[in-house]
Amino acid sequence: MARAKDAYVPELIHPASVDEAAAELARLGDEGEPIAGATWVMLGPLHKRPTKMHYVAVAGLAELRALELNGATATIGAAVTHSQLADGIDGEGPLAALAHAAVGTPRAIANVATVAGNICARPYPAADIVAALLALDAQVDARIGDDASSVDLGEFMRGAPTPGSLVTRVRATAIGQAARSCYERLTIRASGEEAVASVALAVDVDGQTVREARVVFGAVEAQARRCREAEDALIGDALSADSAAAAGRVAAEELDVAEGPDAPVDYKRRVLPGLMKRAVARLAAGGEDA
Amino acid sequence: MPDTKPATLTINGRELELDVPPFYPLAVVLREELGLTGTKTGCFEGRCGACTVIVDGETVVACIYPVGLAYGKSVLTVESLAEPTGPLSSLQQNFLEKGAVQCGVCTPGMLMTLTNLLERTPQPSEDEVRDALSGNLCRCTGYRKIIEATLATAEAAR
Repeated sequence: MARAKDAYVPELIHPASVDEAAAELARLGDEGEPIAGATWVMLGPLHKRPTKMHYVAVAGLAELRALELNGATATIGAAVTHSQLADGIDGEGPLAALAHAAVGTPRAIANVATVAGNICARPYPAADIVAALLALDAQVDARIGDDASSVDLGEFMRGAPTPGSLVTRVRATAIGQAARSCYERLTIRASGEEAVASVALAVDVDGQTVREARVVFGAVEAQARRCREAEDALIGDALSADSAAAAGRVAAEELDVAEGPDAPVDYKRRVLPGLMKRAVARLAAGGEDA
Repeated sequence: MPDTKPATLTINGRELELDVPPFYPLAVVLREELGLTGTKTGCFEGRCGACTVIVDGETVVACIYPVGLAYGKSVLTVESLAEPTGPLSSLQQNFLEKGAVQCGVCTPGMLMTLTNLLERTPQPSEDEVRDALSGNLCRCTGYRKIIEATLATAEAAR
């Protein structure tokens, strides 16, 4: 297939360590980027996205493949795959949103698609892992050469990509003492599709009452983002279908809904209350798909 | 200085040296450089699963997997499931007997996905088989018999 053969001519660099990868990327600056599963990069020419002339392969670096779970906290190496998240994280525990977000992708893609790939791919409104991580107050650790830094994921997503930077890990923490989380996606077909709209929900409950909440919508605006108005609609009430639908209606009014390839703006607005109800039902079911 | 051109990989148990640009899709290399045309290409977007192969024990869609990422790894294609004149694999035989092959374009990808599933989960439920096939499209809509062939293979291995 001449189109595919002719399209891909960049250099692929194989570093032996994270230090070496960080040094190479710092040297390349705007001329290079890290690459892991390559799904985003390989489709770049087809979607007319800018490509680089040099890519630094990081998926094989063991330090970046480590997934450490400690109760309500996850430390996720940048090259951890969606399959690792789906297999490694309890779908009924406080970090369940991450596991739910990782299972929507067909296995052959999930085996190579990585956490850092999901957060660095832009523009990608339907990035499932990003929405789940935002609901879990994620922090992004990155390096430029030997200089390490850490930034809130929301801030990371709002900023422009930093040339020469290597994301090394993401740290996610469920909120509160009685934390629960889940992720729901609406697709046109049952599986294997990007979400038309999605919601990541994390709550801390006191008895029946929501004490704290994170509500993040994906595939609705140009990027996944928290909706504080929807959070306020949940806090102080019991989790119920009614409170969920109310929060969804608030979100439909507050969000700057963008048309997607599979759904117009009005459709997306209309599905948000139902999507919120599904998310709350899933929480009530202990993480099972309700 | 990092190594920029390690160009050996193992395909169906045979170690090979390749002289191709690292961003050639693995599916193109298999078909056009190595003549392993069992791997089919359909969408070239990673959506249809016809090009599914197994790299170091995990399925990947070879149309959007750069060959450079496979260097130093083991790649299994549909040709690995049976010798040209030898018996078919149990799954292949069940595909044949249950009528799970129609036009055949999706079949190699289905076989690799399901071979990998049966290695990870030797006794899958029907839901697990359906879930495993979520990334493999059959335009002849022959899923029912594909699922039956897979469950029959698992049953025979009990």
